Amino acid sequence: MSSAPLLELRDVRRRYSVGGGIFAPRRELTAVAGVSLTLGAGEALGLVGESGCGKSTLARLVLGLEVPSEGEVLVAGRPIAGLHRLERSRLVQPVFQDPYSSLNPRRSIAEIVAQPLAVHGIGTPAERRDQVAEMLALVGLAPRHAAALPAQLSGGQRQRVAIARALVLRPALVVCDEPTSALDVSVQAQILNLLLDLRDRLNLSYLFISHNLAVVQMLAGRVAVMYLGRMVEEGPARQVLTAPTHPYTRALLASVLTPDPALGLPAMRLGTAFPDPLNVPPGCAFNPRCPFAFDRCRAEPPALVLREGGTLAACHLAAEAPTAAL
Amino acid sequence: MSEAPLLELAGLSVDIPTEAGVLHAVRDVSLTVRRGETLCVVGESGCGKSLTSLAIMGLLPPAAQRRARRLALAGEDLLSASPRRLRALRGDRMAMIFQDPMTSLNPAWSVGDQLEEIFIRHGKGNRRAARERAVALLERVGIANAGGRLAQYPHQLSGGLRQRVMIAMALMCSPGLVLADEPTTALDATIQLGILQLLAELQAEMHMGLMLVTHDLGIVARIADRVAVMYAGEVVEEGPARTVFTAPRHPYTRGLIDCIPQPDRMAPGQRLGTIPGMVPSLVGEVQGCAFRTRCAFARPECAATVAPRHGPDDHMWRCVLPPETLDHAA
Repeated sequence: MSSAPLLELRDVRRRYSVGGGIFAPRRELTAVAGVSLTLGAGEALGLVGESGCGKSTLARLVLGLEVPSEGEVLVAGRPIAGLHRLERSRLVQPVFQDPYSSLNPRRSIAEIVAQPLAVHGIGTPAERRDQVAEMLALVGLAPRHAAALPAQLSGGQRQRVAIARALVLRPALVVCDEPTSALDVSVQAQILNLLLDLRDRLNLSYLFISHNLAVVQMLAGRVAVMYLGRMVEEGPARQVLTAPTHPYTRALLASVLTPDPALGLPAMRLGTAFPDPLNVPPGCAFNPRCPFAFDRCRAEPPALVLREGGTLAACHLAAEAPTAAL
Repeated sequence: MSEAPLLELAGLSVDIPTEAGVLHAVRDVSLTVRRGETLCVVGESGCGKSLTSLAIMGLLPPAAQRRARRLALAGEDLLSASPRRLRALRGDRMAMIFQDPMTSLNPAWSVGDQLEEIFIRHGKGNRRAARERAVALLERVGIANAGGRLAQYPHQLSGGLRQRVMIAMALMCSPGLVLADEPTTALDATIQLGILQLLAELQAEMHMGLMLVTHDLGIVARIADRVAVMYAGEVVEEGPARTVFTAPRHPYTRGLIDCIPQPDRMAPGQRLGTIPGMVPSLVGEVQGCAFRTRCAFARPECAATVAPRHGPDDHMWRCVLPPETLDHAA
């Protein structure tokens, strides 16, 4: 991999100004607070964290739907924010969580999937029809679905349509924001299998956002964990999810409920202090909930440090006691 | 322990008239919940699990028609109970926790007023006693500064806090039976775990019967004493959680378990098990096993009525296959 990585984030920050009310002063909310990442062609990066950790903002920055307040988002070596939207949409495409609201209810499935081709002026109408038929077959929809409206399809079928629409321009990078969270388990399994098949067949790269670590581990080669806009741990999926370094990653993993009736409910060691992006604590942002926090955590923000096993982690404890049994 | 079960439900059917014909949304469902027991009702969208819990509470939409051979709370028949009696029981002896606390809390009422109203309405005490109970319960469900929260409105709370308020509200009158319909589905995994722990603790403490409706088999495995798996409006398998998970007898149960990503048990790149096809339409008469159109083991006799079979520990399943058929897949 000598050339530029497919996706590169360089110390990206995104701030919003939020109004507090008539008399309250406007306040600054930092949704993404300095994130650096790279993603190579054919790789899949899983992004995990709780609601409000900034993972969806990060997805929108990568899609070019938001402009970073500071830092750069580079796709194939070029800043995504500076690209024309047509060019941008050939590089990066989204698949969103809710296939009920992300498809135009008044257009047929064939029209929805053909739309990007039409907007980009690709092919004649006949060629587009062929390409749409090919895409629908690729995502496992029958030819008869082409004439249907979204309301006539099930949730899983709609998500297949959303995937077909995302892939019809043959983008290099697909940003999946909770693509299976709105689906039943049996449908989720079908969509995850489809995403795996498509990656193998089309050499796609995924930025895969989910709060479900098991789902992430199925799809992603690498995992990044976010907390309050900051990256707290990043590394090879197997390493991060079997030998996590950061107490937050450990807590997330502990809250995954596998269907094993021999195990009861795991103990919850996270404090109940709810993370508030408008009121980030000093030092390590995670310190009020961390069962291991000590004085240094409340004073000094930890830097991301490379750990053995190839993961980066931002934790004073991990830095001081590399083999501590957390 | 020969007292009557807390909840007895036998032969429940819910029919909904539609333009295309009668939709048989719930078909001959029988369930039992004992004191101190957690029953999980699991199934995918449209399997009738939520309608079953609404039917128990007597909260079905007006168009839905409920029929049952028996529906009783601690021995008291609910089928013949007057609307007034049902209103007296709901919130007092049986309570429901809904999935979406944003739409099931009243946005125009403060948290304190909503909690206290139930207590006062059921004649448990005066305003002061209600307030004390509300503060105690909010603290019990892990809300810091409970006294200060009483004056807040639902929109001022986060999703996890709202759900905790819902739980506190359901517990205001110490009901014997709590029905929870997907109580943690909209929440983060960390918050979900906190709420499930809370429900389990409160249940043990107050010796409640808990019926938890969910689509998440991970939750079921960790919290249920007994499991009822629903498919197409019918309970296709029911039994102790450990038995149902380790030795499922219905192919649908087996399929659901295989759909769950369990990365530590799978090779990298390995595909998940899937259940092909779609849920059948429940409009009109449903003949035979409703799962046979998606079942890899379907055989001619599946088209006829499938009688329930029984194993040890009150394990019931509706499938014609020899019991050991599904064992190899485990």
